[in-house]
Amino acid sequence: MMQDVKINPYQFLVLVILFTIGTSILTVPSALATDAKQDAWIAAIIGTGIGLLVVWLFITIAQWFPHLTYVQIIEKLFGRWIGKAFSAFFVFIALLYASELLYYFGLFLNIHMLPNTPMVVLNILMAGIVVMGVRLGLETFARTAEILIVVFFVFFFILVVCISPEMKLENIQPVYETGTKKIIQSSIFYVIVSSVNAVVLLMIFPSFVNKMKQGKKTFLIGNLIGGIVIIVITFLCVTVLGFEKTAGEIYPSYELTKKINIGNFIQRIEGLMASLWIITLYFKTTLYFYVSVLGMAQILNLKDYRPLTLPLGMIAVVLSLVIYPNIIYQKHFDDTTGNSLTLSIGFLLPLLLVVVYAIRKRMKKNKIEI
Amino acid sequence: MIKTIGIILIAAVILWIEVPPLLEKKYKKELLVFSILLAIGVGLSITLFGFEKPIPNPFDLLTFIFKPLNDFISHFLK
Repeated sequence: MMQDVKINPYQFLVLVILFTIGTSILTVPSALATDAKQDAWIAAIIGTGIGLLVVWLFITIAQWFPHLTYVQIIEKLFGRWIGKAFSAFFVFIALLYASELLYYFGLFLNIHMLPNTPMVVLNILMAGIVVMGVRLGLETFARTAEILIVVFFVFFFILVVCISPEMKLENIQPVYETGTKKIIQSSIFYVIVSSVNAVVLLMIFPSFVNKMKQGKKTFLIGNLIGGIVIIVITFLCVTVLGFEKTAGEIYPSYELTKKINIGNFIQRIEGLMASLWIITLYFKTTLYFYVSVLGMAQILNLKDYRPLTLPLGMIAVVLSLVIYPNIIYQKHFDDTTGNSLTLSIGFLLPLLLVVVYAIRKRMKKNKIEI
Repeated sequence: MIKTIGIILIAAVILWIEVPPLLEKKYKKELLVFSILLAIGVGLSITLFGFEKPIPNPFDLLTFIFKPLNDFISHFLK
């Protein structure tokens, strides 16, 4: 019942692009500009490069088990109980991240558009469509992504064209002043947000994509396209706003769209541009939520994951109001524990998988020889 | 009080949507997991909205557990 859904490589590509852009488009420019200053855009380029290596690691793991999801791979390699413990941790983190993104959505609308509406209402609205998407299944929201990616790129194109007259290249000079070490350090955060987090896509990639060979390519290409979008946004932020303002804002790319002014006639179109973030945020949240629901169903060996969606949606809304008491806590958390959490499920766990796989393979070989 | 009644109403609607198909197909394990999760969800929401008591933050616990790794990463990045 759960396994008969398949998406084609193009739909997977679209999902990877939207996932990679996800929250990075909102938060990454300011995080990069804090450390790398006017060289934030170089840090974004390096980050995309490192991110591709990380994705290559995921693809290698996916290749060994073309019909299993990440949770099943973990269970197969580590054995039943240890595997279940690891995957339970993974699923729990995915649920926490889903509620984290609900919080981002509610906070963004609360600050910029609907200041008098309580945040819980906004979170419930978002959680409602997320739960609806997950209940309708992977195929349905992959097709929705196929339609909305066109909207996304049209708006992105309009944004880039309209803002380009405001660019001041003096803002990125002197180029490469901060030095290699500082730039690489600040790019690590970006790698963690957009590429290491993509480990949740391993729940979809080997088993639910119908053409394995093309799927591998699309994972890399999608990550690259998403990275290019982030590089462009970061470059525009730094050249238009300057690195000090970029680092000081919570949502620098939103500030960027406020600057659009063509002949004193086309102005203040940021409300329209906010749909960019709503689209990417929605798909990132839906993927996280889908992964947590599907992963939980697979850990417990359930036949269908749909009954779990509504109760888990309720829990996610409550968690989204609890996890961040205020924005200072959020900033601090994202800089410290957020990184370790993502690294542990998205980098250390895959590395451990590789090691265990190699040892098991060798043991098997020896047994046959004896 | 109104909030608590609202949450219970939402839970009733969820039960009404989910339970009949599960009973029809005789998915007992699914029903069990569903009920446990719904109980957790309703419990958490009523504590937060109905009684307006704070819920412990899972991120505080995770910060406590991951402290060594955090220190290692920040050491590596400085």
